[in-house]
Amino acid sequence: MVDHLLLMIWHALLVALFFAFLWRRSSRDRLVLFAKAFLIMAVGSVVLGWLMYLVP
Amino acid sequence: MTKDTGRSTAGAEAPRAMTSPLLLLAAWLVPGLGHWILGKRRRALVFFAVVVCAFLTGVLVDGELGTPRPGEPFSWLATLACLGNGLLYLARLVWINGVSGALGGLPFGLDGGGDPIAVGFTYGNTFLYTGGLMNLLLMLDVSDIARGEKD
Repeated sequence: MVDHLLLMIWHALLVALFFAFLWRRSSRDRLVLFAKAFLIMAVGSVVLGWLMYLVP
Repeated sequence: MTKDTGRSTAGAEAPRAMTSPLLLLAAWLVPGLGHWILGKRRRALVFFAVVVCAFLTGVLVDGELGTPRPGEPFSWLATLACLGNGLLYLARLVWINGVSGALGGLPFGLDGGGDPIAVGFTYGNTFLYTGGLMNLLLMLDVSDIARGEKD
């Protein structure tokens, strides 16, 4: 079974990990970028999804 | 706070060296191989894992590989994005079409697989495009590292 939320979170995780390693060199910076990017994509998508209820 | 982005300032003064086409070819064919050759082993493994995971997820949820179709300009963009997956893309095309079908079907007769009525179809496409585009970015990164503009 394909779970949309799980796929979205999995996608956000892969992309956040990719850019953390592409753009940052120290472990701490990578962790910060990973956390920011992941949260923005995962939480932002859910928030955007709820906001779209307001759009007729 | 300054972030260590790995961007070197030495490239501004030094003359730019060419990146070996073979290195770029290796970076395209196998995600992370370019970094591995340049000695960035840890990064190479992470990039390989990320791109392969994205590609496999795309295939497993019935995504369709981008293939060129006549009269559909966006199919060329999808093809370019998916082509970024390198060997994974080529191997999947051969898996679906067979060797003779893949060669004989060029350019407009290729089957990209996938199932348009599957629940995960659009998600799968997104994963396949994302994997390919990430690998194209990795090629640029390899070029920067090889020319000494990044570490």
